[in-house]
Amino acid sequence: MQLQISIILAVMVFAYIIAKWKKLSVEVSMLAAALVGGLAGAFVATPPINQLARHLVEGAFTYLDVILVFVTATIFMAIVSESGGVNYVVRGTIKLFYNLRLIALLILMVIILIPGALTGAGSVSLLVVGAPVAMALGYLGVKKKKAAAILFIVAGLSAAAPPVNIWAMILSAGTAIPYVGFELPLGIPVLILGTFSILVLGWKKEGNSDRETALKEMPEITANMTWWRVLLPFVVFFGLVAASRIWPFAYPVLGLPLQFVLAGLTALLVSPIKINILKLSRDTVKKLLPLLATMIIVGMLQQVMTATGVRGFLSFAVISTPLVLLFILLAIIIPFSEGVLTYGGAAIIGIPLVWFLDSIGLHATIVIAGLSLLWPLGDGLPPTALIGRLSIMVSDYKGSYWSFLKSTWLPWLVITAVGILMVIFSARLDFLVKWSM
Amino acid sequence: MPFIMLIYYIITAYILAMLIWNFIKEKKSVNDMLLYLLVMIPLILRLLRVK
Amino acid sequence: MPKQWKIKVILILIVAAAVITAGIQLYNHRHYRMLLTAGPGVTKVHMLSDYCSGLKGTMADTHVFFLKGKEPGGKMLILANTHSNEPASLLAALIFLENAVVEKGTLIIIPQFNNSGGRNTRPGDGYPLYFEIQTSWGTKKFRMGNRDASPLDQWPDPDVYVHYPDKQLLSFLDIRNTNRTWPGRPNGALMEKVTYAAMELMRTEKVDMTVDIHGAETMFPVTNCIVAPEKAIRIATMTSLTLKAREGFDNHVEPSPSGFRGLSHREIGDFSDTLPFLLEAPLPFLDQPTGPKTVKLLLDGKDPFLLSLAKKNKLFVPYDESGWPMENRVGQHCSAVLELLRQFSRKSPDRSIQVKNVPRYAGIVKNGVGYYYHNPATINKKDLYFN
Repeated sequence: MQLQISIILAVMVFAYIIAKWKKLSVEVSMLAAALVGGLAGAFVATPPINQLARHLVEGAFTYLDVILVFVTATIFMAIVSESGGVNYVVRGTIKLFYNLRLIALLILMVIILIPGALTGAGSVSLLVVGAPVAMALGYLGVKKKKAAAILFIVAGLSAAAPPVNIWAMILSAGTAIPYVGFELPLGIPVLILGTFSILVLGWKKEGNSDRETALKEMPEITANMTWWRVLLPFVVFFGLVAASRIWPFAYPVLGLPLQFVLAGLTALLVSPIKINILKLSRDTVKKLLPLLATMIIVGMLQQVMTATGVRGFLSFAVISTPLVLLFILLAIIIPFSEGVLTYGGAAIIGIPLVWFLDSIGLHATIVIAGLSLLWPLGDGLPPTALIGRLSIMVSDYKGSYWSFLKSTWLPWLVITAVGILMVIFSARLDFLVKWSM
Repeated sequence: MPFIMLIYYIITAYILAMLIWNFIKEKKSVNDMLLYLLVMIPLILRLLRVK
Repeated sequence: MPKQWKIKVILILIVAAAVITAGIQLYNHRHYRMLLTAGPGVTKVHMLSDYCSGLKGTMADTHVFFLKGKEPGGKMLILANTHSNEPASLLAALIFLENAVVEKGTLIIIPQFNNSGGRNTRPGDGYPLYFEIQTSWGTKKFRMGNRDASPLDQWPDPDVYVHYPDKQLLSFLDIRNTNRTWPGRPNGALMEKVTYAAMELMRTEKVDMTVDIHGAETMFPVTNCIVAPEKAIRIATMTSLTLKAREGFDNHVEPSPSGFRGLSHREIGDFSDTLPFLLEAPLPFLDQPTGPKTVKLLLDGKDPFLLSLAKKNKLFVPYDESGWPMENRVGQHCSAVLELLRQFSRKSPDRSIQVKNVPRYAGIVKNGVGYYYHNPATINKKDLYFN
């Protein structure tokens, strides 16, 4: 069976390489890998050929809800931006904090951390506050490449931050460990690593502009724009998220997409200028197309990989690795699994890994916390590179993707080291769990 | 059907309409035409209450 | 026709062909009518919505079979397909449904507890849609379901699921998992209504013990076991020891953790007088490091990757070339339920429950599961239920 699965895997990789060589997009190349892998599997009835279309279509549903969040959140922010709200906030921040660089950077970090921490999705951080933060960083003298790097790293950390960490939740659900006691094991490293990253990447000021010049360069504020017009839609969104935690049983589940729709409608109502919502929605969907298609195709790829046995084979390879080598390889395996499978990586590799590490006496909660610092890094790796691509999109960086990714090397290494050390020394860090409860 | 679920079908239909509109307007990129169709797949089947 | 439209039409036709083919298969799966045959012991059939009106008319509603003995006694509830991708539970429950004759007390069986989950497939995990069990009269076909209810019945998910009433935060997916929504509430999400209805059934019918039947990965520590809270642990321990001594298979006892909310073995005991037990039998199909997810793997549990991991001591159950066949798993469940009944009846003679004609482990391993299912062609039509 190992040989059969290895051949299917090789065929999939080959199909991807040929498609890329023929200059097809990343998305279509992944689709080619899924299709060809499925067909190769069908030769040995894994899956049966009459089930191949069903597997592809069923796989397309894997991230349907994430797609709804992406679209509604981006439309919401596009409305805020179109109404002049983003400019207004950035101008205010620069006016108040331009000469207090440390505080300005830390405030911007906290602003990125909050939406991701509340929702568990770094993408929400980027879609909601990414653009204004990137602009503010620009006026603070941080180059676009570095701004994109800051957004990527801090948005990743926001997804890992408590109270909601989806990797930890998937692992907890899959390993029957209660999702409790994560506040300090996740909160402390996230705050330390976030501060370190934003200072390393953003402390150096490029160019010699001052506060007045920066303010002059910024676009004019839309007439009649006021603080309450900017704040109200965000109050609605965060209010709904907070209310669902404080009074969870008082009203039915609204879900993030509807919360974004309600915030978007509020933004539309209070906007000082008239907005063509249909055109704006259409343009937003067009802009998001590569991301949405990636989510669809990764789901298809995952389904085909499982139906052919490729996924299980990769999981087997990880679990079979000797312990010391495994600790070292975590730095590659974990982000890579996220890059290929997004959240699927946590289920496929993470669940058996946590069981195994737990059985040799490591502390499961700290292991999960440590691993979940590594997973967000993978959101910058191809083929999916979801958060990486969103980061350069909202920061309007036009250079190559690799030059952006290279600029994240130092925080990347430090986060990796912290994550792996947390796993190795998890048994000694169990006091963090006790203090959280 | 609960009211909130109904709203989700409306949100799904709205996004689908935007995708169809973009698909129709797309003149050149075969890549994008294909991607629009792929993204439509789960939205259509959800609206039809198949999956 | 302009060139761009020619390309568009070709693309539409290709994608439509795939969508229509898959759509028909997925629609048929959701609406496939599975046959439930009521045996001679069944005395009445209710719907779960009789205990919570919010389930009426939904895909979450499901049959509740009562098997009442001639003599009064205690009551046991059997829940199967709480997770519909763990099918040994359903197969064991159907053996009880088709064969059990209750002499004393009452047996209540809900074979498809998460009925919506049984009509759902698992995106990304490449499961087969159906599986078949061989019988002497032909094959009996079953839907392969999912762990979670279908979003067609409960949508949207929250960003994080806040468990009622403890406010413990759980994964967003678990709001559709009927082993995380206990004890439920009448005005909550649909799956909270399902567990609430079962709680109501236990409270109104004064059920003495409930057995929730599951399957778990071989790499999961909580497998091949009986999970029970403090108040039920003595009966669970006696059952485990007796099964090992008399029938030769392991089924250790795991205490129900008090800090992990929403599970049947925790909440049923905390919110009613019923003693809860949860049975786990190894299910290699669910393990991550396996070959393709085929019907064969589901039924015989043989996998070369798991065999290799077993040799490296990375599994929590004994595993060799013979795998973990369905007969063994179903056999374990049937024996464990019968032994729980016996131990309970010994401890509480005034509430004893006596059941006959249900095979035990050795019989099912020898004859196969299908041996105990009856030919529907020979059964009175009023005893056939489709779901």
